[in-house]
Amino acid sequence: MPVPTAGHTTESLTTWLAERIALYLKRRPTEIDPDVPLAEYGLDSVAALSLCGDIEDDFDLVIEPTAAWDYPTVHALADHLVAELAAQDGGA
Amino acid sequence: MLIGTEPRGAVEDGPRATGQEARAAARVAELERRLGDPTDEHNELSYARLLAADEAGELSAAGERALDELGLGADFVPRALGGRLERLDTLVRVMRQVFRRDVALGLGYGVTSFMAAVNVWTSGDDPQRERLARILTGGGKVSVAYHELAHGNDFVRNEFEARPADGGGFRLHGAKQVINNAERADAWVLFSRTSPAPGSRSHSVLLVERAGLDPDSWRVLPRYDAVGVRGCHLSGLRFDGTPVPGSALVGERGKGVETALRAFQITRSALPGMAVGTTDTALRTVVRFALGRQLYRRSVMEIPHARDTLSGAFTDLLTCDILSLAATRAVHLLPEQTSVFAAATKYLVPKVLTEAMHELSVVLGARFYIRDGEHGIFQKHLRDLPVLSLGHAGSAACQATIIPQLSRLARRSWFSDEPAPAELFQPRTGLPGLPYDRLTLASGRDALCATLVAAVDRLPDASPEERAVQGLVLQLVDELRQVQEASRALAPEDRTALAGPAVFALADRYAVLLAAAAATGVWQQAARDGGDAFLADPAWLAAVLHRLARRLGRRPADLPPSVAARLHEEVLRRFRERTSYDLYDTPLAG
Repeated sequence: MPVPTAGHTTESLTTWLAERIALYLKRRPTEIDPDVPLAEYGLDSVAALSLCGDIEDDFDLVIEPTAAWDYPTVHALADHLVAELAAQDGGA
Repeated sequence: MLIGTEPRGAVEDGPRATGQEARAAARVAELERRLGDPTDEHNELSYARLLAADEAGELSAAGERALDELGLGADFVPRALGGRLERLDTLVRVMRQVFRRDVALGLGYGVTSFMAAVNVWTSGDDPQRERLARILTGGGKVSVAYHELAHGNDFVRNEFEARPADGGGFRLHGAKQVINNAERADAWVLFSRTSPAPGSRSHSVLLVERAGLDPDSWRVLPRYDAVGVRGCHLSGLRFDGTPVPGSALVGERGKGVETALRAFQITRSALPGMAVGTTDTALRTVVRFALGRQLYRRSVMEIPHARDTLSGAFTDLLTCDILSLAATRAVHLLPEQTSVFAAATKYLVPKVLTEAMHELSVVLGARFYIRDGEHGIFQKHLRDLPVLSLGHAGSAACQATIIPQLSRLARRSWFSDEPAPAELFQPRTGLPGLPYDRLTLASGRDALCATLVAAVDRLPDASPEERAVQGLVLQLVDELRQVQEASRALAPEDRTALAGPAVFALADRYAVLLAAAAATGVWQQAARDGGDAFLADPAWLAAVLHRLARRLGRRPADLPPSVAARLHEEVLRRFRERTSYDLYDTPLAG
């Protein structure tokens, strides 16, 4: 799966997250409604921790392991990541 | 107060102070003295009396009285709050004296309160911490109520509700099941749903005191009859709209899952090692039998299979104590890494202890099936021990904590991380306080396996035992390489609680490697220090690594015969001199 390297937007992150979460859930990305809580799809708390690990590795971004608990939908998480990436770029 | 003779308010010891060790050793000796020789039938805490209480489905009254007099509740309370808790590894040593005699007393008197209290030490505010410290140092009990039968360890799906009410309080609705001491605790730590939304931010932890509750709105549910720990008071609680004040909330609202997972890192590290005392008694019982019983015109002890089984059980006890040591000391020294170490300990230690008991039962023969008499304690311990794997976090739940971290460990830690600090492996060296705020849910770091990897270049190879160790370490590092490759290749769906069976096996292999790494570290430090002649000898390490390698399905070369001879000699010496079958060689009352 291609990893966006620069110029992250809510749209590009939404696509990346939907694809990644679909892999966790063995579903198609189009089945993941970005406004439905991930827990409703059966993404357990353990998988949510794994997802945060993936984000750290693929975006080289340090986030709280519980970020997917605090931002429980694809849209919420994408917005959070855009803000975090911007903060990191600004601080670098 | 029940704090003993230690001066209060004294200046805290530094991390290298010997005061901690002196206090721990004195406390262990104090318990041994008060609890007495369990093989002496005149002792009110003899195995015979404990068995009688178990048969009657009661906790030993004499046992509870003795622990009251010893003020055991204070051992679960941090020193800063007037208790005796300063280190997790020393708490394990103290509790081991109780578990040696009776698992039901260990759980029913003590550990339940500790498991509840840790949530408050980790996430509570000052008034809650002080209140709980007063209850426990005053001899009261606290229950931990996480469990709902319908959801098992999937507690994020729990339904028991604390509905936010006007004025900042809550109303409790629903039931908690299989709760130890529910009917007699002064307070309960209740894991409660505070929001109907799905996910991991919908639960909160509440510390609810029994006094002052509306008596018409709650009740204790009927007691459960269990296979083991028959004396434990396992029941449940049912609430129907019971109001509780907002001050009952421990930590932030909605952070209950996080509070619980951080508290688990402490309890999963500490609990399993307590049961080393239980299997110690089983081994001691079988040694006594093997020395006394004549078969084929010789003692059972002279039968090679029996002798090997006893040495194997001793080896397992050392392995379990070592993993427990590393996990408990890691909470102090490497708190960021504790989540996997704690889960591996809670997974592997009860399993190895239980298997050792089953192997020992073969030597005991028909006697292991007899419920009273000289060997009756064996079957009681055998029945009681599995509760350690069931209560609080099942084996599979512990593997599920490890599984999502494997791929990160493989990519970021193994073969690149720094080895653990030497203090991690020194059983008697002082430690800094418990850094509750530095426990994290996942880290991707593992200094223990790094110790194993680093050992490859540092191990001596002068004696046959040292060469055996070296060969085994090489094999185990090769195994780590294989676990790394398999972990790197895990698909996302195999990094969840619903991962395939092969991934659970991967978590098992990793736990075994952590035990091997910890054993290597303990030997390296003991050999450098030289104070304990047995621990400084590479023979025991060769035996431990050999057993772990075989557990991994490897076929390591036979050990030099001197290894078996050394272990057998030590099994006999500790039996005759009445000292413990663990890292501490502690003098015992019997």
